[in-house]
Amino acid sequence: MKIEDRLSLLNYKTDKSYAHITIKPDICETCPDHFCTFACPAKCYTLIDGRLNFKYEDCVECGTCVVACAHDSVTWTNTKGAHGIKYKFG
Amino acid sequence: MTLEIIVMVKQVPDKQEVVIDPVTMNLNRSLTRNVTNSADENALEAALRIKDKTGANVTVISMGPPQAETTMIECLARGADRAILASDRFFGGADTYPTGLTIAATISKTGKFDIIFAGEESSDSSTGHVGPGVAEFLDIDQITYASSVEYEDGHVIAERELEGGTEVVKVPLPVLVTVLLNSNTPRMQTLRRKIDATRKGIEMWDHDRIGLQPEWVGVRGSPTIVRKMNPIRERERAAKKIEVSSIGDLVDELYEKKILKLEDE
Amino acid sequence: MSEFDAIVVGAGPAGASAAIRLASSKKNVLLVEKSDPPGSKNVSGGVLWGNGLSAIIPDWEKSAPVERFVDTKSVAFLTQDSKIGIDFSSKKLEQKKTGYTVLRARLDQWLARKAKEAGAMVINGVTVEKLHVEDGRVTGIEQDGDVITSDAVILCEGANPRVAINSGLRKPLSDHDVAIGVKEVIKLPENTINERFHLKSGAGFACEYVLGYLKGGLEAGGFLYTNKDSISVGIVVSMSHLRKNNATYSYNMIEEFTAHPYIAPLLQGGEMQEYSAHLVQEGGLRSIPKLFGNGYMIAGDSAGFSFSNGLVLQGMNYAIDSGIAAADTFAAAYDRKNYTENSFKSYQDRLEASYVMRDMRTFKGIGDVTWSPFVHKKVPAMLETLMMGLFMEEGRPKKHMTRMLLDALSQNDMLRVSSLMDTYRMMRRM
Repeated sequence: MKIEDRLSLLNYKTDKSYAHITIKPDICETCPDHFCTFACPAKCYTLIDGRLNFKYEDCVECGTCVVACAHDSVTWTNTKGAHGIKYKFG
Repeated sequence: MTLEIIVMVKQVPDKQEVVIDPVTMNLNRSLTRNVTNSADENALEAALRIKDKTGANVTVISMGPPQAETTMIECLARGADRAILASDRFFGGADTYPTGLTIAATISKTGKFDIIFAGEESSDSSTGHVGPGVAEFLDIDQITYASSVEYEDGHVIAERELEGGTEVVKVPLPVLVTVLLNSNTPRMQTLRRKIDATRKGIEMWDHDRIGLQPEWVGVRGSPTIVRKMNPIRERERAAKKIEVSSIGDLVDELYEKKILKLEDE
Repeated sequence: MSEFDAIVVGAGPAGASAAIRLASSKKNVLLVEKSDPPGSKNVSGGVLWGNGLSAIIPDWEKSAPVERFVDTKSVAFLTQDSKIGIDFSSKKLEQKKTGYTVLRARLDQWLARKAKEAGAMVINGVTVEKLHVEDGRVTGIEQDGDVITSDAVILCEGANPRVAINSGLRKPLSDHDVAIGVKEVIKLPENTINERFHLKSGAGFACEYVLGYLKGGLEAGGFLYTNKDSISVGIVVSMSHLRKNNATYSYNMIEEFTAHPYIAPLLQGGEMQEYSAHLVQEGGLRSIPKLFGNGYMIAGDSAGFSFSNGLVLQGMNYAIDSGIAAADTFAAAYDRKNYTENSFKSYQDRLEASYVMRDMRTFKGIGDVTWSPFVHKKVPAMLETLMMGLFMEEGRPKKHMTRMLLDALSQNDMLRVSSLMDTYRMMRRM
């Protein structure tokens, strides 16, 4: 099953007014490895024409990316107000 | 004099988790968890914005089983001042008619009311009946499908979404307003408020407290009889690759397959 | 005067256990959880080992939403074509009910309800932003500009402890602290699971796998646990190995595992119900931060209490026991009315005396072995060679067993001093 299909099974309460993870595009622009694209299990980090694209909406809040990024581009905060991923089984 | 605002809310199954059992064709609620109806969160936010400006009192009212308390506490944690849950075994199995009656009676019992807010509809039954029904029972004006609501000088000024346009109406108090889903961004609960609300608890009113006879409410007061529920069957999709070299060929192909029709046919 | 005696941040097994223990001794305790309902952001592989909950909820297994008790525990090496494993099924596992498969969204919601029943105030759906610190002592928590005061805060935030990190109580996580866990829950009828795994009703199967065949030579562990009417299946890969590889997507690895010729049939006909991912604390002893200070203690995954030695993955049991230890430490400090670092020293002592820290010390450095090419490449290949030698009829006289073992070792380049050293290290650390 494609990751997109697996993610579509999940229940999110998306916070449209607050991104709990932010990146610094100027750092990502010159990043030599883009390890985040391999590490993130929810495919939130992708390369489009060589440029890093990030979306927080699919995030499952595992915390992988903030460890994976060795260039201090990722700022990770908890989601607020019970927004974000809502597992049924976990 | 302090403005009295009522917000009608409902606890519903999380719509992302409602599944139809493929064998029994019933709603399988065993895995679903309850949440506050989204449009009601927008209704509460509309009320709280008026409270921010005018210092109004905001009371949330719901009809439901005792576990709906979590929704009421949530509303208090967002900023409501008082929460009343009409809860009684006699209220069970109600359709939209006795539900409207029960909520209207509860609102009357609270005393003075100036503006009543409700979500446009609930995500589990989607009738949109209860808000307008309450206005009728209380014999007050109503504004439905409002996308923005302001209070000004004894009047509510609301923008309504219509097909192909919007309409701005100005209505004197008292008035009931149903609020569109996603028409604003609901504020978050705060820990301080949630702790206080949990300590204080909510008010639970039964039929006696509200002044309703058992035969007027719940399943006995409901004129609707559900005869059958049909799930929407997924349509068989005959996916097929059509080899065509031009748009013209494609149109011909679709015409032959009777997917396209000529206008005079 | 503080509003609460203690505030517990996070309602997983550690936090709920701490809150239940505190509330049971009539402490005024607040348990705050960001998810709604509690548990809906939590993931674990899925076996709760041990009986730690009985200390706070007698007969817990009768009312807890457990899936199955583990009566068959297996470990297996997987190569491209083979599975070499050990199954341990025992009446003794059944009698002692040493482990239960669980699904955390259900278990943790139940634990939070138990905390409420015990008398704790449970608030969920609100995220604690930071600790409130006065004169070098933690005296409460902050949210949306409000301060909620308490004599002490017990941090049980899980594997990604943002409040502890943001407050400087523990260093940001680095590669050697964590692994990435990716999991799927596959729905299958209860009877199908019973038949497929030869299980009696209520009994469960739990297996950890060493995956020695993944693309790019990646070293990962797999797990497969049976729930009542679903199977939890997943992989765990260390951050540093994934980084070194820098060519494999973490979300694709699980498919390589579930497509294995001896895994796929176990899942056949199942319907995927959920995909999930979570950090796994894997650093062992060296990842454990300072566990307490003025006005605070750290328990559970936030404290790095979790480990895997390849045979078993554990975390929830340490979470429960460390949560209880923190609660007991608080109760003793409460009697002294002293919540300073000095007063919380006995938290460390309690953990050292319990199996929590003893396990951490016994298995220190285990990660170097479980994540080595030795375990992931050489051992599986050698075992496969040995088994083929043992069981293949080639119409020739068979070699002596010892000869066969030596051949298998030498064919897989394991008769070197370095390999013998690896074997020695592995045995010693396990």
